[in-house]
Formats: sequence, C-alpha cells, structure tokens
Amino acid sequence: MRSVEEVQTTLQIAKLNPDEFYPVTQCLSFREHVSSGDFCLMELDETLCKYVETGKSLVIRGDKNEHAVLCSADETYELKIADTSNLLLFIPNGRTLDNLSEDLSGHKIIHSQVYGFSNCYWELRKCRPKLKKLKKLLLENQYEGLCIKEEHSSTKYTTSDLLQQIQASEEELLNQLQVLHACEINGYWSILELNYEMKLLSHITQLIDAESWSFCKIPLRICLQELGTLEPQEMIEHCLNCYGDRYIDADGDIFFALNEDKVCRAIAESLLQNAIKFNLSEFQEVWQQSVPEGMKTQLDQLKGLALIDHTSKPEAISLLKVEDLPEDTQERFNCLFGIREKWSEADIVPYIQDLCSEKQTGALLTKHARSSFQNGTKVYNSRRLMTS
Amino acid sequence: MVQILISSPENEKPGDWMLMELQGEIESRHNTSLGGSVMGDLHFTKEGVPVLIIGHHILYGKVVKLEKPFAVLVKQSQQQKIDENAMETDEEKHSTFYQVTALIKKKIIFKTRPKPIITNVPKKV
Repeated sequence: MRSVEEVQTTLQIAKLNPDEFYPVTQCLSFREHVSSGDFCLMELDETLCKYVETGKSLVIRGDKNEHAVLCSADETYELKIADTSNLLLFIPNGRTLDNLSEDLSGHKIIHSQVYGFSNCYWELRKCRPKLKKLKKLLLENQYEGLCIKEEHSSTKYTTSDLLQQIQASEEELLNQLQVLHACEINGYWSILELNYEMKLLSHITQLIDAESWSFCKIPLRICLQELGTLEPQEMIEHCLNCYGDRYIDADGDIFFALNEDKVCRAIAESLLQNAIKFNLSEFQEVWQQSVPEGMKTQLDQLKGLALIDHTSKPEAISLLKVEDLPEDTQERFNCLFGIREKWSEADIVPYIQDLCSEKQTGALLTKHARSSFQNGTKVYNSRRLMTS
Repeated sequence: MVQILISSPENEKPGDWMLMELQGEIESRHNTSLGGSVMGDLHFTKEGVPVLIIGHHILYGKVVKLEKPFAVLVKQSQQQKIDENAMETDEEKHSTFYQVTALIKKKIIFKTRPKPIITNVPKKV
C-alpha cells in the first residue's frame, strides 16, 4: 500500500506543485480477481432511479426470439446493450471534492479499490408494451356461457401466467385486460365470446326498455334479480361494468349509467361482423334502430373500428379493427396502405394513434408516408413501391 | 419466455459509487492480470480539477453529474426446487437474477491526452 512519502515523491517526479492540490489523495488499486464480467451497468431515467432507490424490483421479460424488455410495475422499456470505446471503472469509495476529508492538517491518503470495470452498459428506452399477444392467448378459451362445458383447462391463464408470456408491466397488462372486457373467473382470465357479450348487453337493454328506465339510471339490484335467472349474476354485473359507470345515489343504492358511445360502438361491431361491406346509409338506419331508446348513434363513435369508403357508389362501411392490425409501426403502415392506397388524415389517424403519444401522429405520418393533394384534400400514401 | 428479476436491497438504500471514465485501455506493466495491483493516485486541485497519475502519465479530467444515473447490477444465481406438483423428477433449477448493488450519479472523466512524465532527462554536460 502506498505511503504519503511515495505519493509525494510521485508528485515531485511529475513536476506538480503539492500546494496546488487538496491535501487528500486517493490511492487507487484494483480489487483482487477483478474482471469485466462481475458487474453490469444499467442506465436509469429519473423515474427508474427513484423506483430503485425505494427498493422496488424490475423484471426483464422476453423470449429467445424477441427483443428483451424491462418492466417496472407500470411501464415497459426496450433493453439494449450499448458499447462505449471508453473504459468505465467502478470505485465504491471514490470521492470527489464535496465529500473528501474535512481534515486539512497534513497530507492524507485514502485507499480505494476499483471493484470492476466495463466498456458497455444497458440502455433503456421507454416503449409501448407488446400486448397484441394477450388477445391471442385469451381467444384460446373464450367464455361462452355456463351451458358450454369447460374442457380446455390447459389454456387458462392467471395474471401471473400472463406476465410470463406478455412483454408488459403488470399495470399495463391489467389495463389491457379491462379494455378487452376480460373477466377474472376463479383467478383465471377470460374474454367473452362476442355474441355472448352482446347477448348480455341486449338482456340489459331489453330490461331497460321493459322497465322504462333511463339508461343513465339502472338499478343494480333489480337488474340482477330479473336477469339472474337467465345468466350468472357475475356476468350481468361484469357487462354493466364494461359498458357503464357505477355510482351510488343518496340512499346508498347502486346504479349504473350506460356509456352511450361504448354501447353504440359495440352494437355497430356486432352488425358489421356479419357482412363484408354494408351500404352506409342502410347501416346507419339499422344501427340507430338497434340501440337503446334515447341513445344517439354517430359515425365518430366508430373510430378505429370501421372504415368508410366515400369513393364507392353508394358509400360503404366495413369492419376494420385497429387491434387486429400489426403491432410493429412499419408493418402497420404497410398493412394500411395495402388496404387502401391513399388515406386522408382523418381516416388514418385512428389506425395509428396507438403507435405513438397523442400529438405525434403528424411526425409518424411524415416519417412513414408520402403526402400529396387530391381534390383539395391532403392524402397520404406509402413511401414504398407497393406491388399490386 | 424468460422473466429475470432485478431486485433492490429491501432495507437499505443502494450504495453511492463513483465512476471513472478513461479513454483507451489499462494494461499491467508486467503483463500480469490487473487484480490486486496499484492503479494510480487521484488528486484534486484546489479548484476541484481531478488529476490522475497513472504509470508514466498525468491525466487531467473533470467531474460530471450524470444525466442518467447508472445502476450497478450483480448477477446472482439461486437454486430453486421445482414445485412438487410437477411430474418431473425433483431436480434443482437454477434461476438467474440481478441485484442492484449501487447507484452511480457522477463520474470523473479523463478526456484529454495524457501528459507523459519524463523521468530520465539527460543532464547537460
């Protein structure tokens, strides 16, 4: 171990004036058996830094053929290894001027060890969770009602099972399960088969009609009482939770207010599912007639669900669900331009909104599409040569 | 799919380490491994400039607060028994996980060309 005299001699040989220096020197040496494989460095943003400091864990998730992601409780990050041409040394007891010894009487030495070194580090970049797989997994075993026997117990998933398969944080996963109207039955998640879900909804809307209730004030207790003979009460309540908002009135009774947009949208989906194309005006008529009394249908409710062809005569509407499109940005654009050569901004935005944050669709279009003007409107088409 | 846990110590805050960034490589003088050997002396001028004397070189650097702190992770391996419900034989399964040992929030970076220390200056006759 170096002594004060040796350090001072070195300074002398180096022709450095000891008076210009702080009288504390850190003598650095390498730890016994030090090697570059001992430690990994991972870059953190402010959120993750606080997260780690409070003792919370992170999980890396990925399959052999996938890019690894890192998840906190509510966010997902892409994980990449970045190389640096510089050498990075880790010194646990290393000090800078702000925490160097206060005792300035005489020259002091602190012996510090280099614990490890590296020339690469893990780089994290926040990204969208990869949730498309979730619907695919749950479709393996849809809930169709109690009369259908459950035979495929091998394809049932708990939350923890799903986290083993999906590259997402737990909160993002639970949010998506809610979006898919999945319900947890005995700890296992199921999505409802569409016709069954519509059947539940129509039981509710028919009851609303029969009882002349406002669709904003559906009494839970009576609803369960009347419909409980037709379907399990949990399913009725689940349907109310998916399509409405729960509240308690002044007397402490539980009511539900159906969400007009959600109900109209679901009914449109079940109508459009059965045809490839619908004559737009015929569709609008049938659609309005199919929704509960007092609800108003509007084409805006169908963003990301249906596409209107204004160029065909008569105008037509067909089902196109954003969640059925590719998850990868470039593939999504290729797919959209394969469906239609030129898109107006209003038509394409609902189908790319999920790829970026709210105000960035413009930037995405600039990057992945070419714009031109057609009949005074700005339209977008593919940057690539599309083979017809 | 694989799930690898990165855990932080539960009852203590992770240590606060320092990072030193150097250009180039460090080699041991006698071609032995670096383990256990002296690296150099780190001084600070009264103005706070870090000066590193390593081998025959003087390096001048600066202290930088990291925009994105680093977590220092140590790889660990834990033996886990497969739960008794599995049909396989009672093998032990090794699962890898990482532990956050420390956080690095600042570094000393030496970017300038090292100044050589000349020790044998021939005396003028």
